[in-house]
Amino acid sequence: MAHILLRHRDVENIHQLDVYRQHQGYEALQKVLGMEPAAVTNIVRDSGLRGRGGAGFPTGMKWGFIPKGAGEKYVVINSDESEMGTFKDRELLERNPHQVIEGALIAAYAIGAKQIYNYCRGEFMDAGYAFEQALKDCYANGLLGENILGSGFSCDFSMYFGAGAYICGEETALLNSLMGNLGQPWSKPPFPAVEGLYARPTVVNNTETLANVPPIILNGAEWYKQFGTDRSPGPKIVCLSGHVNKPGNYEIIMGMTYRELIYSEAYGGGISNGKAFKAMLPSGGSGPVVVEDALDAPMTYEGLTPFGSVMGSASVVIMDETVDMVWMAMKCVHFFHHESCGKCTPCREGTYWMEKLLKRIYKGQGTQEDLQTLRSVASNIGGRTLCALGDFAINPVLSTFRHFPQEYEAKIKPAAAVNGQGKKQTAVPVAAD
Amino acid sequence: MSDDLVTLSVDGVEVSVPKGTLVVDAAKKIGNDIPVFCYHPKLEPVGMCRMCLVEIGLPMRDRATGEPLLNEDGTPQINFGRGLQTGCTVQVSPGMVVRTKTDPVEQARADVIEFLLTSHPLDCPICDKGGECPLQNLTMRHGRGNSRMVFADKLHMEKHVPLGDLIFLDRERCIQCARCVRFQDEVAGDPVIGFHNRGRHLEIATLSEPGFDSYWSGNTTDICPVGALTTADFRFGARPWELTPVATLSPHCPSGSNMTVSTRREAKAGGRSVIKRVMPRQHEAVNEIWISDKDRFVHHFAESADRLTQPLVRKNGKLVAASWTEALDVVAGKLQQAGTAVAGVSGDRLSNEDLFLFQELFRKGLKSNNLDLANGRLAGGDIVAQVGISSGSNLKDLGKGDVVVVVASDLHEEVPVWWLRLKQAAERGAAIVTLNVRGTRLDKYAKHALRYVPGEAVATLRQLVNQSKVETDGQSDDPIAAAAATVGSAGNLVAFYGAEGLTYDETESVAKLLANLLLLKNGDGHAGKKNNGLIPVWPHNNTQGAWDMGIHPSFAPGYKALPEAGLDAHAMYEGAASGTVKALYVLGADPIGDGLMDGRGKLDFLVVQEMFLTATAAAADVVLPAQSWVEREGTFTNAERRVQRYYPAITPVGDSRADWQILAQVGERVGLGKPALAASLVFRDVVKAVKQYKGMDYRSLAKYEKQWPDVGGDDLYYGGNAYENRSGLGQQWVAAAESGKVGMFEVAETAVKSSPGLKLVRTAALYTPGTLISHSAALLGPRMAQPTLSLSTADARKVGVADGNRVEVTANGMTMTATARVGDAPDGVALISGVAYVPGTAVVQIRKLQEEKVA
Amino acid sequence: MFGEIVKGLYTTLKHLFQPPVTVQYPEIKRPVRNRFKGRHELKRYENGLEKCIGCALCAAACPADAIFVEASENSDEKRFSPGERYASTYEINMMRCIFCGYCEDACPTQAIVLEKSYELSFYDRASAIYTKEMLIVDVPVNGRSTPQVVEPGIFNRAIPEMEDPK
Repeated sequence: MAHILLRHRDVENIHQLDVYRQHQGYEALQKVLGMEPAAVTNIVRDSGLRGRGGAGFPTGMKWGFIPKGAGEKYVVINSDESEMGTFKDRELLERNPHQVIEGALIAAYAIGAKQIYNYCRGEFMDAGYAFEQALKDCYANGLLGENILGSGFSCDFSMYFGAGAYICGEETALLNSLMGNLGQPWSKPPFPAVEGLYARPTVVNNTETLANVPPIILNGAEWYKQFGTDRSPGPKIVCLSGHVNKPGNYEIIMGMTYRELIYSEAYGGGISNGKAFKAMLPSGGSGPVVVEDALDAPMTYEGLTPFGSVMGSASVVIMDETVDMVWMAMKCVHFFHHESCGKCTPCREGTYWMEKLLKRIYKGQGTQEDLQTLRSVASNIGGRTLCALGDFAINPVLSTFRHFPQEYEAKIKPAAAVNGQGKKQTAVPVAAD
Repeated sequence: MSDDLVTLSVDGVEVSVPKGTLVVDAAKKIGNDIPVFCYHPKLEPVGMCRMCLVEIGLPMRDRATGEPLLNEDGTPQINFGRGLQTGCTVQVSPGMVVRTKTDPVEQARADVIEFLLTSHPLDCPICDKGGECPLQNLTMRHGRGNSRMVFADKLHMEKHVPLGDLIFLDRERCIQCARCVRFQDEVAGDPVIGFHNRGRHLEIATLSEPGFDSYWSGNTTDICPVGALTTADFRFGARPWELTPVATLSPHCPSGSNMTVSTRREAKAGGRSVIKRVMPRQHEAVNEIWISDKDRFVHHFAESADRLTQPLVRKNGKLVAASWTEALDVVAGKLQQAGTAVAGVSGDRLSNEDLFLFQELFRKGLKSNNLDLANGRLAGGDIVAQVGISSGSNLKDLGKGDVVVVVASDLHEEVPVWWLRLKQAAERGAAIVTLNVRGTRLDKYAKHALRYVPGEAVATLRQLVNQSKVETDGQSDDPIAAAAATVGSAGNLVAFYGAEGLTYDETESVAKLLANLLLLKNGDGHAGKKNNGLIPVWPHNNTQGAWDMGIHPSFAPGYKALPEAGLDAHAMYEGAASGTVKALYVLGADPIGDGLMDGRGKLDFLVVQEMFLTATAAAADVVLPAQSWVEREGTFTNAERRVQRYYPAITPVGDSRADWQILAQVGERVGLGKPALAASLVFRDVVKAVKQYKGMDYRSLAKYEKQWPDVGGDDLYYGGNAYENRSGLGQQWVAAAESGKVGMFEVAETAVKSSPGLKLVRTAALYTPGTLISHSAALLGPRMAQPTLSLSTADARKVGVADGNRVEVTANGMTMTATARVGDAPDGVALISGVAYVPGTAVVQIRKLQEEKVA
Repeated sequence: MFGEIVKGLYTTLKHLFQPPVTVQYPEIKRPVRNRFKGRHELKRYENGLEKCIGCALCAAACPADAIFVEASENSDEKRFSPGERYASTYEINMMRCIFCGYCEDACPTQAIVLEKSYELSFYDRASAIYTKEMLIVDVPVNGRSTPQVVEPGIFNRAIPEMEDPK
């Protein structure tokens, strides 16, 4: 089947504006410009498109939250793709930028925004520059700026490179960073749809989400709904990495099983070096680890719920039998400790503490007490933090605890070696007369 | 009224609070202390420390019908959601149920405390906050008592990092609550500190040069919930529980900022009780819970080694120590000898009691009306008595629809507290109109910033006043007309006026014009109504009191006009030079040092009552050592006419006596009878003489009531360490317009004198050298204002001066040297700051000094 | 009759031939018990630095208000104790002291210890006040007296650990 999102794999040089336009490029925009903005939102809502950044919030509903009426509004594209094992937006920006631009313009038209920002991860230099080139082409050809395609609709588009903070993938932190503030999330409410960028209503959409919009507009909501499941319609780009023979981005139709993704020749092609599958991170570092039994679950937003995990941004990291799960948890926690913005206490202090504990346990110096403390610290962070990063940080710990407790136990020092045990009580001194 | 109230229940207790109140505040109102670290009632909530997590439930409604769902027993069903919510970010809503004592809540509090203590060092024994530390208190109340964190895992960071000259940061102790950063940004409007780095390495960094360059930096140490920010002068000074708090007032600021001095006996000071620190004292109508750094750090003059400790009498041309009896006898004798050629000038930082007795000594004892302020810059005390801001007003009440006019004053430099409060009024929607010869910092918050050329202040204001009478639609290209439209439609109107670039006579016209503006509005003026009226930007803390006490050649106490006016200060100084004035009594002032008087001239006798050996004192025949304000008690009247008490805090230095005491003893010697034995008794006489003070006494001035927000007390974590006011809120005296009709003032038309040439305007700087601050220089030294001359680029080119040049400035016969700054002044004006007061706008000569060649 | 007298003096006579329980103080001094609480001493570490950090918790704990402490800041050029703070003034009024030992309990660095000396008598009230110089112990054999000049960066913890600093 032809790709819907990764169209550059079917059409050569689609990153060039003329090539893109030869293949129905900006026709969706043309179509939209003749419609009522509310009708556009309705089509997207009817299509059932959900946010591809990981949370899966219905996109049409998000657009619908933007208050009608005058005043500045903004569309912000979240291309701050920093999750471990995620590299889908990068490919879109670099190889198929116009589909993202077109999607963003449709969003801007639908909510009445005159300014679009693309907040791009700072390290994505090549992708960012390719995308900027696409923007320049659009400006040169009347697709951006004043009076787009002669419709009277005007919209500007700016590119912004982040400075290397994972937390800026969180929408409020992203907006803070975009405004020149410290990249820290704010406590919601106010939601960005009400008070976002520069305290104006703002839609923040993932890059991949917006790439879904032009085909929906062109072919209609019903067409889109034929793909995938009822609650998770449409295609999804999966970032497959780890111990598989063929890692990479794959555009799949939601509902496919993880087993097919890993073992089918069309996708992963099996575990590398003929090793056995041990565990999988279905959503980069932030989703809980799942084991063999979850492989037959469908790749949908709800598919992994029975297994205590989420599809998230579909960054599937496969681990074979050689992977030490404590090491894996330690690496993930190190990442979250490093990326914690420091705004709220449990995350700032808890990730630091968890890393210390995990390092000690991994080195074989941990005690049974450390193990209990680790579990307790992890659960003390959960649900108490300002944004979701704290909850993400405990997932690798709690899920490895659940599935691989024996690996932790095996690293614990024998109790006898612990200091202070069985220390003799010193006798009370007696008078010296 | 009831529509704006929301009723909710907190732990089963019903409470009704205004709409928009946050859950923590609502709970606080009924004494339920939800612990917080990052939340502060004067700052925007951010919800970052997570200490205030509580269970918040909302009544459930049927989705289809919108009807509330009820339990079987008829009570509404409450949905508590999945997790805990931060009480500091959630606004109350009707029927809300808050639970603060449940197991999950207690658990969450204990966990957050444990998290905070994983990086917080356990150096409470040496921490200056130890003993009044919110983190300590909340750990005792909610913490588990032990930590599971291995001690060796603790992160160690820099300690004692100077953020500036005044504030030190201990990076380990910081719990990243951002109160300081938010205070500087939201309240002070000086975002000079911010966070740097991220995660556990988040640290406070200063962004300014010099570091932490703000007049408000000290307040961050009060609201810091840990010992991360401390002031330079309190470092290891004392443990908080050893301190005795004594209520006092700002010794220099006309706002009458309420402060507390914390004192302790000290071995280093030979067992004397000394001031260890100064902190704000809550007065929501005066300074809320903020004080400027000058208020906080200037007190060091009181313990300066330069203080005079005993009376000095000139013998054989030299000032030598003498007994009080001898000195007082000499003073009384010489004053009486001078007959009618006696005169007295006074400073305006003394208490009402001092000034009243000074007046008694002259009018009753020496039968002379030759009495004036030594350096009267600003006229209009009598006008303020008519249309001054009405009693019960609070700048905090100004908001949308209200207008504040500020004429010829740079409030940020002169009275920072007012600047802060006007900035906040502007943020609440009040329109600020500024009139000045140059731009000031308040312009940033002003709706209309009007400029005039030097000498045309009165004319410009007259235009504004006249045009305010005319009904307009508010649309005008003329800035004055636009401002007049704003003023004309004001809900409440408050007018401030200062003396920047104005002569004494001009300030009088300005005061009268503003009074007329307040009296306008179709005969039903603003004057006399609450939150309306005139506020003079007096140069000192008790200039208002000096007017009230009749330190004026033509007014007796209480603004009773005298049949025969005496000499004013300038006439006295001229008289001293020419010999028509024979004896001069200088009370708490330094006319020679300020350049008002050229030596002692032909005076037969000069007596100076002072704390320091000033230039005037050095030329005197008798010097009487006075006590500083923290050594005795008294009352000051602030520019809003609020009479407030201050209390003795430290042991008097040497053999010094209180000013009122000295004056009473001189009075006794000139036949005024037995002196009063206590300041409170003098005040009783004040009240008898000044009809406006009727009904006041030391007891009524000490009355206080609970103020919101709650600060001080046990719950240090809520409002910071500022002291609760338990020593009196003072009493405001009633302006004439409040109780009766006041007629319009006649302001004579004056021809605008336009003389060619560059005009010199002296501008205020908070840390301008003066008698008090110059003796506190150890700490404030690096921040002291240096003589600086600002010129526009065009003018600088004309006089051939470049940025950074040393220049000699001559105006009005005074010569000063200063460093030139180019680009900060309007054309035709030379602004000079960091020098003694220069009245009016004089034509100035500027000469570039040769740079010293550096090899 | 005689029998009664002997009976009445029995105890006296018995003790007449026993060694006396009293000692000839001050010629002879009785050893005190280990738990005896005598005059305070301010201790030093082995390198000579003072243990007292001037926190004044002893003064806060003192029920008789006998202790007075004033603190100052250490520098590497003039170091009295490890860490940032030391006691510049330390006074105990021995006439007020009730030798309860609360100060010892409150001390976070075990700097103040109630030792065995009990010979506290004074000719006037002023001499009942023991100053820091009187209270502090002698410099240990291998230590240096305070203030010391030390290399920067060694004693940078606010509260030194409970062991002798290396």
